[in-house]
Amino acid sequence: MNRIEEKLQALKKDNKKAFITYITAGFPDYNKTKELIEAQEKAGVDIIELGIPFSDPVADGPVIQQASYEAILGGANLAKTFDCMKEMREANVQVPIVFMMYYNTVLHYGVEAFAAKCKECGVDGLIIPDLPFEEQEELQKALNGADETILIELVSPVSKDRVPKLLENARGFVYCVSAMGVTGQGGEFHKQVKEYLASVKKVSKIPVMMGFGIRTAKDVAPMKDLIDGAIVGTHFIELMRESNFDAKTASEYVSTFKKELNELD
Amino acid sequence: MNSKAYYGQYGGQYVAESLMNTLEELDQAFEEAIHDPEFMKQYHYYLKQYVGRETPLYYAERLSEKYGTKIYLKREDLNHTGAHKINNVIGQILLAKRMGKTKVIAETGAGQHGVATATGAALFNMECTVYMGKEDIERQKLNVMRMEMLGAKVVSVESGSNTLKDATNEAIRTWAKTAEDTFYIIGSAVGPYPYPKMVKEFQSVISKEARKQHMEVEGRNPDVVMACVGGGSNSIGMFADFIDQKEVELIGVEAAGLGVETGKHASAMAMGEPGVLHGMRSYLLQNEDGNIQLAHSISAGLDYPGVGPEHAYLKDTGRAKYVSITDVEAMDALMELCKLEGIIPAIESAHAVAYAFKKAKEMTMDQSMIVCLSGRGDKDVNTIASYLAGEGYLN
Repeated sequence: MNRIEEKLQALKKDNKKAFITYITAGFPDYNKTKELIEAQEKAGVDIIELGIPFSDPVADGPVIQQASYEAILGGANLAKTFDCMKEMREANVQVPIVFMMYYNTVLHYGVEAFAAKCKECGVDGLIIPDLPFEEQEELQKALNGADETILIELVSPVSKDRVPKLLENARGFVYCVSAMGVTGQGGEFHKQVKEYLASVKKVSKIPVMMGFGIRTAKDVAPMKDLIDGAIVGTHFIELMRESNFDAKTASEYVSTFKKELNELD
Repeated sequence: MNSKAYYGQYGGQYVAESLMNTLEELDQAFEEAIHDPEFMKQYHYYLKQYVGRETPLYYAERLSEKYGTKIYLKREDLNHTGAHKINNVIGQILLAKRMGKTKVIAETGAGQHGVATATGAALFNMECTVYMGKEDIERQKLNVMRMEMLGAKVVSVESGSNTLKDATNEAIRTWAKTAEDTFYIIGSAVGPYPYPKMVKEFQSVISKEARKQHMEVEGRNPDVVMACVGGGSNSIGMFADFIDQKEVELIGVEAAGLGVETGKHASAMAMGEPGVLHGMRSYLLQNEDGNIQLAHSISAGLDYPGVGPEHAYLKDTGRAKYVSITDVEAMDALMELCKLEGIIPAIESAHAVAYAFKKAKEMTMDQSMIVCLSGRGDKDVNTIASYLAGEGYLN
């Protein structure tokens, strides 16, 4: 079984919600990346999204754009991120890790070689915001339905009649984007966010996660019965930058969010 | 995969899920519009009465004499707003109105597409925001002022390289946020399907006129058709009606900047590799990590690291040939066109003129070529002045 699916099944059994964070790989350097991932794993984060820096991150707002830019200046790239993954898996880091990246990075590496390397290095899932359903065939073919690495489907508030098609063979979880536009717009969810989440929840056979614009567990309180978990990206990057990438700050944030997320009323 | 979105292996729709329904609606509305005689009548009405079409196919007598072949210039520089960009803007903005949108956004490099969009928005009473790299705002101040006079809001984009690539990123981000009431007018033959097809459709008027005009004078097709290529809008328009005329040689001229061997250039087809940027799969300038590289050209309008997907396809199939011209060659050609024909071309267009001089050497007086003069050089006088003064240029 895929590591993400395994984790989400265990949470479901315990009637718990998932908490997912995002960090940019190599921001500010790979030692910090490892330290922050390990600290979060200990604090109980369920899944980590690891951003592969790209020169033209069109799905990201200014905060993640800047993190990506600084990571590139610091020498971060896909090859080094694979190395980092491999080292962490060898050091027995077990938390499911999903690469969040842009498709050009995959193409440049070579689709087949990329899929093989993900498997080798323990990359459990992929989120590629500029690879919509209609363009996924090539990559899915390379991933070959194997359990090691799965492609996560994104759904937006305007996906509407596309939702059943997107979810038909989706694996892991559904990433519901809470607002139109890019990451990091802060708390402004789409005006019909509840109807939208309910419509996704209705057809989804797999857990439904909500991301974009979330800072604290309370932000998702109105949607708690419609989602199986929450994703925090931009706010977490801001927090890391403000605390000078302090592992303790990361742990505390994760454990607090997780606790509150499962105590929402 | 949506096979109609592809030109061979190029094109596609590499956008966020939130834009997929928008693209589908756009595709439907576009196909309906171009098959609606009323819509096309309206489009051609504005092209004639407002833009000033048709533009002349001018026989450049002194150039022809000097270079020993018949050189015809398709005078897109004589269009209202000074370049071919307005052809496409009129088409897309009429489509936006037809779809009930009230706001338009655009990206711009040299500012020509921004000016054309601001012009169209004023004409059709639409709210207009133009995204422009901070660097380009510096080097194209005159066009920024024009856009503002025309009532557009110009947003300075300060991310990445601060040029056209980044302005396009920002326009895409805004579009993903506001697609419900906003129409994104893409100025080049790039972007996700159906944009490359739309831009070609609305720019094909260039070759439709030119082919007819050439036929009237010469009684046959030209031997060679040539245009500069940044993203590739004037060139795809110039090629469109000739693609099926197999005897006509099609040549696209990219910017070689300081020389393709220096790494400081904008020749995506000469030096790039296929990848995905701005919603399309095409040739792109990339570094060893697959990050997009900065393009470099004295001409802001050619300063783009990618190229439209149909051009990538025309290159691979061998139907069109793509060559590169350096900054210096383009500037020499620009000065020569000024002195011999009394025409100040845009630096972009001067790249095509420069290659025309090279190509003419293998041609005879019985043969003819059409060079697309995509824009006029008024916007470039500051760049030209500092270049001539040996101060380099703002880039």
